[in-house]
Amino acid sequence: MSHPKLASIFNKDEKKVDWHDKALWFVRHKRDKSVHSVKNWEELRNLGQGIKAHMLSNLDIYLEEFEANANKNGVEVHWAANAEEHNQIVHNILKENNAKKVVKSKSMLTEECHLNPHLEADGIEVIDTDLGERIVQLAKEPPSHIVLPAIHKNKHEVDELFQEHLGTEPCDGNPQYLTHEARKHLRQKFIEADAAITGVNFAIAETGGFVVCTNEGNADMGAHLAPVHIACMGVEKIIPKLEHLSVFLRLLGRSATGQPITTYSSHFKKPANGKKMHIVIVDNGRSEQLSRPDFRASLRCIRCGACMNTCPIYRRSGGHSYDATVPGPIGSILSPGKDLKKHSTLPFASTLCGSCSDVCPVKIDIHAQLYKWRQIITKETPQPFVKKKSMQIMGSVFTKPKQFETVGKIARWSLRNLPQSVINSKPNVWGKERDLPKGPKQSFDQWYNERQKNKNNS
Amino acid sequence: MGSRAEILAKLKANKPEALPLPQIDSSIFDEGLNLIEEFTKKVEVVGGNVYQATSADDVVKQITKMLPDTKVNFSTLEGTSAFNTIDLSTINDPRELEDLDILILESDLAVAENGAVWVNDQSLPIRVLPFITKHLVLVLSKEHILPYMHQAYEKLNHQPTDFGVFISGPSKTADIEQSLVIGAHGALSLTVFLLD
Amino acid sequence: MKVGLFIPCYINQLYPQVGQATLELLEKLNVEVVYPSGQTCCGQPMANSGYESESIGTYHHFVNNFKDFDYIVTPSGSCAYHVKKHYDIIPQTDEVTGVRNNVYELCDFLLNVLKIEDLDASFPRKVGVHKSCHGLRGLRLGSCSERVTPEYSYIEEVLKKVKGVELMPVQRGDECCGFGGTFAVAEEAVSVKMGKDKIKDHFESGVEVITATDTSCLMHLEGLVNRNKQPLKILHVAEILNSNL
Repeated sequence: MSHPKLASIFNKDEKKVDWHDKALWFVRHKRDKSVHSVKNWEELRNLGQGIKAHMLSNLDIYLEEFEANANKNGVEVHWAANAEEHNQIVHNILKENNAKKVVKSKSMLTEECHLNPHLEADGIEVIDTDLGERIVQLAKEPPSHIVLPAIHKNKHEVDELFQEHLGTEPCDGNPQYLTHEARKHLRQKFIEADAAITGVNFAIAETGGFVVCTNEGNADMGAHLAPVHIACMGVEKIIPKLEHLSVFLRLLGRSATGQPITTYSSHFKKPANGKKMHIVIVDNGRSEQLSRPDFRASLRCIRCGACMNTCPIYRRSGGHSYDATVPGPIGSILSPGKDLKKHSTLPFASTLCGSCSDVCPVKIDIHAQLYKWRQIITKETPQPFVKKKSMQIMGSVFTKPKQFETVGKIARWSLRNLPQSVINSKPNVWGKERDLPKGPKQSFDQWYNERQKNKNNS
Repeated sequence: MGSRAEILAKLKANKPEALPLPQIDSSIFDEGLNLIEEFTKKVEVVGGNVYQATSADDVVKQITKMLPDTKVNFSTLEGTSAFNTIDLSTINDPRELEDLDILILESDLAVAENGAVWVNDQSLPIRVLPFITKHLVLVLSKEHILPYMHQAYEKLNHQPTDFGVFISGPSKTADIEQSLVIGAHGALSLTVFLLD
Repeated sequence: MKVGLFIPCYINQLYPQVGQATLELLEKLNVEVVYPSGQTCCGQPMANSGYESESIGTYHHFVNNFKDFDYIVTPSGSCAYHVKKHYDIIPQTDEVTGVRNNVYELCDFLLNVLKIEDLDASFPRKVGVHKSCHGLRGLRLGSCSERVTPEYSYIEEVLKKVKGVELMPVQRGDECCGFGGTFAVAEEAVSVKMGKDKIKDHFESGVEVITATDTSCLMHLEGLVNRNKQPLKILHVAEILNSNL
């Protein structure tokens, strides 16, 4: 279904929309408070942008450097061209280690590759351990936000879900109790796990190490308890040097939730004694996105989710209305690069207000890219005949002032004289909930000419 | 190896012309922070507590008073072995640490701007310790507090570590209706002691 | 100083009073304003809908109409932004770059070119400012809440020069109203909800008159206010600046 259709379904429950909007605005507000207390925040964003842009322009070189250093550290590095290969590599590592139970911390990449169903089909248990991800996993839904996966669910829904799946007591949605029960439930899973899968926030070429950020501590609980740790990363997660983490860790937590830094910023480099560490480096369309000059800046993204929290459309349509792994503004510039037709309504799910670009910690020109995707979509995917034709007609009328005045005159007359029932009949989507202007007798043009005439006569 | 060559070739062919790497001038971010004050404020903001202590013994004394009824305790501080109820050398599998109540660790690096304390392999006999413990206690000299992450990484550049973590507060989540709950998967509480 | 007045297409046809207020205001300030006849549109409606190629003729038409002016002034941040930002797809002749450089949104022109001190206007009402997005984040006609920059707002600065205006603080002054051109129709449900929320914010803040630099946002808000019979007045900023109540 298209974004407008899913968004209009979401909007049938206005109270829920209000609640969703407020919850995310609250996060945006916390972000504002936090970044406004950082001296030279805008310079920090410039650094974030500059380091990432430099990295993208040397990506192959840094990846090779990273791999060589990771190998020296005793880490095995794998390369996957696409989702299938990624899933196959992870599956093979698990098979080699006879791993049947897997705990996973948040990784949008494994979501993108649909890793869980692939492994589950072979009887492997995969448990998402981030609380929000566990909630949506139990509900058999995809995450609706990349940082707050269950932001679309209220506490009573979580309460019911936990009663059904974890056998908890009814608690009127007490978050404290529910979180505590989830901790107990997932503790058991961490203890039993044969392997842990994590994402990667930053991979450092210079050291071959990588950093994983969480607030819950779930990535570390998984990775340090299980005998095997598999870290999956997109090619664009590379940064050149260790010192660059200072920029990105200052940007990430503040942009995401307003925290000065995430609770845990774990720097993995060498496996612990007797343990194994694997890194899977994934392309899956990223090299293609790198080839598009207008869109390659989207690869600077550090997945903070700030553009979602600020987006007035995202807040009022919900993450699921985007029907894509990464929802919201950043998703709307990433997804068309993967499947233009499927995601053709996403770049139009925006007023081009520009708030996304201004909150972005790495200054991706998100709204400018939405505009550019629109130009491509109208050329390369089938468009409604009426839309196409009316645009052609408008384009032509605006070059012919006389025609423009005539069309204007008819429109004004209609607005003045037709009954409301005709004006607001079904084809006029505007009129469903909004009045149209009254339709003045004179256009500005007519008024001005008349005034000039009177002036000259007098 | 998978599709290594193919991926690298594509990235090489598709990347834009080389752009310069910006230099970080950390002085532009400097607000002249009062380091101890800022650090204390930030640890409290992220849900932890900061106390002063005069010695390792004092730390143990204070923490035993704060958390009196614990069963499984471990400290890496010098001269505090009486506090320990377990011997790490007998731990074969980190999973055996599941009942750990209090862990006391030393650190030589903390950051004022975000209340983060660095813990690494050198002070960490088993990596899961600071995550699996119910209560985490971090001990640090006041002179080891640096203002910003930039200074922290200048120091870390000279301290290569196999595993290290910045810890800022106890574990937490707000995944249920944006209500902040302290104590997700990691430590339920974080206490920092500052030594002169 | 030769100043050309650009009246956007929808203002020309549907809100001529906004154009009139703009012209009268500039004349009152002793600006020699010319309204080039035969002007139509900046081309934004097609371009934002993904049909930039259909707007090329309109771009040339616009440049032809305005190429001889030192300044082009318009009561629309959005249209001024479109000319500045998106006229890069036609050959960049001196005329084109000249027009792109010289186009000004009205409040910007009053403050930064004319450097007005007094307006000799009065409007004793509680006014709520909606900071239209393209002017705000496109032309940077004010600081926005996302960025850490010194605070300023051209529209509020000029409104402060009107006697009696009481600027009412609102909760989300620079959140989008939900108009967005064809977005208003293509994403009708979200667009309407955004507009309703915007109005609610102003209403609950004690605002009597909502104003903005852009009639497009205001048309959307007015449509909702009128349909729901809410006791709010909607006026373009030029109408307030040209008032003597």
